[in-house]
Amino acid sequence: MLWMFPFFLLAILVGLPIFFALLVAPGIFLVITDAGSATTLWRNVYNGIGDSFILIAIPFFLLAGEIMNRGGITLRIVDFAQALVGHVRGGLAHVNVTSSIFFAGMSGSAVADTSALGTMLIPEMERNGYSRKFAAAITGASSVIGPIIPPSGILVIYAYVIEGVSIRDLFLAGIAPGILIGLSLMAVTAIFADKFKLPPAKRVEFEHRTLPIHEDILARILARIDMAILLYMFASGYFFVAGLGQEDATQINDIFAPLLAAVAGADGEAPIAIAALIYALPFFAVGELLFMFFRRRMSEERRIIFKRAVLPLQTPLVILSGILFGVVTPTEAAALAVAYALFISLFVLRSMKMSDLPGVFSRAALSSAIVLLLVGAAVAFKTAVAIAQAPDIAAEFVLGLSQNPLILLFLINILLFVVGMFLDVAPAIFILGPILAPIFIGFGVDPVHFAIIMCVNLTVGLATPPMGLVLFMAAAVSGERVETISKAILPFLAVEFIAILVITFVPAISLFIPNLINQVL
Amino acid sequence: MGLIRLPLRLLSKLNSFLLTIGSVIATLALAFMVAFVIYQIVMRYAFNTAPAWTEEGARFLMLWMTGLVAPLGYRKGGFVAIDLVQTALPRLLSAILSLILLALAMLTLIYAFIIGWSEITGFAGRFATASIYFPWPGAEGLEWIRAPRSYMMASLVVGSVLMISVNIELILRVLAGEGLPSETSVLLDKSKQPVMEGE
Repeated sequence: MLWMFPFFLLAILVGLPIFFALLVAPGIFLVITDAGSATTLWRNVYNGIGDSFILIAIPFFLLAGEIMNRGGITLRIVDFAQALVGHVRGGLAHVNVTSSIFFAGMSGSAVADTSALGTMLIPEMERNGYSRKFAAAITGASSVIGPIIPPSGILVIYAYVIEGVSIRDLFLAGIAPGILIGLSLMAVTAIFADKFKLPPAKRVEFEHRTLPIHEDILARILARIDMAILLYMFASGYFFVAGLGQEDATQINDIFAPLLAAVAGADGEAPIAIAALIYALPFFAVGELLFMFFRRRMSEERRIIFKRAVLPLQTPLVILSGILFGVVTPTEAAALAVAYALFISLFVLRSMKMSDLPGVFSRAALSSAIVLLLVGAAVAFKTAVAIAQAPDIAAEFVLGLSQNPLILLFLINILLFVVGMFLDVAPAIFILGPILAPIFIGFGVDPVHFAIIMCVNLTVGLATPPMGLVLFMAAAVSGERVETISKAILPFLAVEFIAILVITFVPAISLFIPNLINQVL
Repeated sequence: MGLIRLPLRLLSKLNSFLLTIGSVIATLALAFMVAFVIYQIVMRYAFNTAPAWTEEGARFLMLWMTGLVAPLGYRKGGFVAIDLVQTALPRLLSAILSLILLALAMLTLIYAFIIGWSEITGFAGRFATASIYFPWPGAEGLEWIRAPRSYMMASLVVGSVLMISVNIELILRVLAGEGLPSETSVLLDKSKQPVMEGE
């Protein structure tokens, strides 16, 4: 029965599109073994696409990314990264990675990141004395952060396939590993600057960037609200980490009591909105002090760059806070992100025209249709895998290798890395997720942690030859050959593999943010 | 060669025409999906009611979006495949391999169509959707009736017909000695970046 897998692999290797391979292999298997009929497959494709509200988030995230891409937002993000890290040696390489981290918060796809940042940064890097293959390699290597930091289509798919993990936890768990990968890429760039023949550091100059008054005001307000929320998060995080309890909370409440009493209505209770405002006051005050502190250390030019980044960077906040506070479902959050992205690029930044909309929507429809069809086929494949009892056989095999979860995790890292070279992320999750996740959860690995291990591993596979979509995209936007980029990207892949091992063996990296936030909220 | 070129040209024109229509509808479907979900949020928070049809409606549209525009993706080479072997082989062998693979794809698609057709005309298709209503002429003028599930299932059947048509075009292209589209073409299409700032 298990010949289905070798057949599937062979079909992919000789060049059958994965979509068909996912259907042909189980189709032949079901018909020959009489274990079921091909109708089962069709129903699974259909239900796989059309039976879930969660999946609608995927086209929405793709659409939001597409709008951001189009709406002149890339330039603002790159400027922002320039202002942060552009002045060190190999500045543009660091800018590339930093932009990828910010960009990851807006789009859920690595290919889109490579395309948006590559088109802009690769020529710019070449002008500044970087080799083209290095520029293409770092663009590709850093764009795999895209699907790790939320929002992420891949994490949505994982939550759809594996029951018992919430999108909310996965999104939170992805933040730190994504940043870790970014930082390790920057570290390699800095350490091997000589080897990469990076140009010396130079001052970052911004050509005349302006900020219309209405955006200025909006940015100021939003920045203050963001700062207050951030401080609130830190404060409540501290509250729990320091192990403070109910008594301390009462003490804090006492400080506010006189103020609350002053605004209390006839029934002795303050109106809820005003009470909330009073509690928020100290956070706004501290935030304002921080702003005043930084303001004096920053040139006018830099302040404008920072303000220009405020509106675009609200997108990840809209998505995350919507999901976090349980106000909306992930799908609704994705729709809100689309609405927000449309609103700011059409009416505030005015960087997009109504006439751009059909193009943006049709491109998003095309790329999501391809992903969704793949998801449908993968659901069908998964059913056949279950009928073949492959999960049990695989579990037996894996447990036969070793009983030590640490060794098994290491083996899994290697397996997933290799699988990632050949398979796209979504099908790999569908095929391997239901087989592997129960085994490791049985060993006591946290389900959310395992999800991150799996997704990070497979995502890095997008930048590995022979079948790395990110590599193809980097080649397409840079004009460099895939083979050349494949070689230039090796040092970065090596460090990404090390980062994967760190993420695998230090669960806290993935888990501390969701754990903390789940305690606080 | 003319024997292949002429039908290829005609089929290519037909496909371009059909897929353009499909793409336009799919684009609208995506726009309406966003609108439905936003409407759902607004109704819930502003009016305290949750409309029943928005969710199913969005899924309905998503299925049709997929069925109508995925064939275009197939035509543009957006269905990822590893082309290492094909590029390594000499031309003739490579063409033969392509034909075998396309034949496998064709088989799958035809099967998908046959099964899909029997599904929509069969038992499962007759169930009604939970919340999608259509106006239908009844005894006393237009009546709102619940749409059968087959309206939803038809999306994939239409999709498989379009993909069969694309597949035939691809087979003819190989026979005519033309290359197949590679995934970079669909990627590149996406990378057409606009000028950077509109301000």
